[in-house]
Amino acid sequence: MFNASLLLVAGGGVGKVAIENIEPGMVLASDVHDRSGRMLLGGGAELTQKHLVIFRTWGVLEADIAGQGSDDAADQVPADVDPLELAAAELELVPLFRHTNRAHPAIVELIRLAALRRVQHGIV
Amino acid sequence: MALSDYPVTTLERLVDETSTVYSLPLFYERLNEAINHPRSSIDDISKIITEDQGLTARLLRLANSPLFGCYAKVDSITKAVTILGTQQLRDLALAASVMGVFKGIPEELLNMTSFWRHSIACGIIARSLAIYRRESNVERLFVAGMLHDVGQVVLAAARPEASRELLEVQRDTGRFYLDLELELLGFDHAGLGGALLKKWKIPATIGEPVACHHNPGSAEQFRLETALIHLADIICHAMELGQAAEWGVPPLDEPAWERLGLSAHMLGIVIKQSESQMEETFAILSGGADD
Repeated sequence: MFNASLLLVAGGGVGKVAIENIEPGMVLASDVHDRSGRMLLGGGAELTQKHLVIFRTWGVLEADIAGQGSDDAADQVPADVDPLELAAAELELVPLFRHTNRAHPAIVELIRLAALRRVQHGIV
Repeated sequence: MALSDYPVTTLERLVDETSTVYSLPLFYERLNEAINHPRSSIDDISKIITEDQGLTARLLRLANSPLFGCYAKVDSITKAVTILGTQQLRDLALAASVMGVFKGIPEELLNMTSFWRHSIACGIIARSLAIYRRESNVERLFVAGMLHDVGQVVLAAARPEASRELLEVQRDTGRFYLDLELELLGFDHAGLGGALLKKWKIPATIGEPVACHHNPGSAEQFRLETALIHLADIICHAMELGQAAEWGVPPLDEPAWERLGLSAHMLGIVIKQSESQMEETFAILSGGADD
């Protein structure tokens, strides 16, 4: 009754890389600012562990990383979650999200979070 | 001779009927008068609240809950007024009393436990989003979230047969609840809720976001607040936090999302933070519903 493929084309699309997926050694593609607009680190810098600590301290959630597009869904699966189970959970959520634009970055993220929640609560 | 007035009914008529059956506790109007009166003191305001023992207890429990994370214990209403401010306390007092107003709703039309779970979750998430954006006076968003679907309660109470039909058609066709309301009734629960709040003389900072939460573009005065409630409602549906009459995540209004200037990456953080506050807040607020 519902078209499952609609959900699957919606991967990625957030734009920047989330802080939890950034690792030392990656290179910034643009400046990083804190939430009040203060510059923390300029584009072109190679990130160290210390930079990441400072980013978290100042509430930075994401950054442009050179040579990487936006997060794709596979990067965002926590280690304790089975990707197959997660995909199954996302599929089950199709009816719940049937009225939404499933390509919008906020909805993509909500589907991911809702699926994770189902897997972690054992609702699948 | 008697013609059934169903389905011919108007929003105004429903609000008139409902506002005679369900009314706000008396303290709310007195509290408003005291707050707006230039010469009233903190003592005057505390006195009005402390006359209602149940309300006082709930407010103090809220003020000491993780929602506020106050370092020192808030053990009197006077202290709560000093810390939170008069308007914030008024908004919280409304949140702490509104669950007791609606009673006797048939369980099969609206399960009130799930309904308030959804509403409180929406209030807490709207409040967390506002805190994240560094807005001031965030309690109005908490109340607006709590009241956003109140129109569904009004309909279930005043026109149970229409409520039942809407639920059945939704279940059978999978269509969007709001569209079904507009077809069957000519108005929707958002507008109905907004009209009731207006009748109750609740400020438009709360009323407009309720009235426009499915159609944030139609808000004229409080666009930001409306966008916050709109998004918080969507998050609650997506995360399956409680359940109101509608089933399914409502469509996201893209201009409202743009207005908030948020990154999709922060949604997980706000949801996690809000979830930790939900159980206790629900327990405190529902403790008052059986008074």
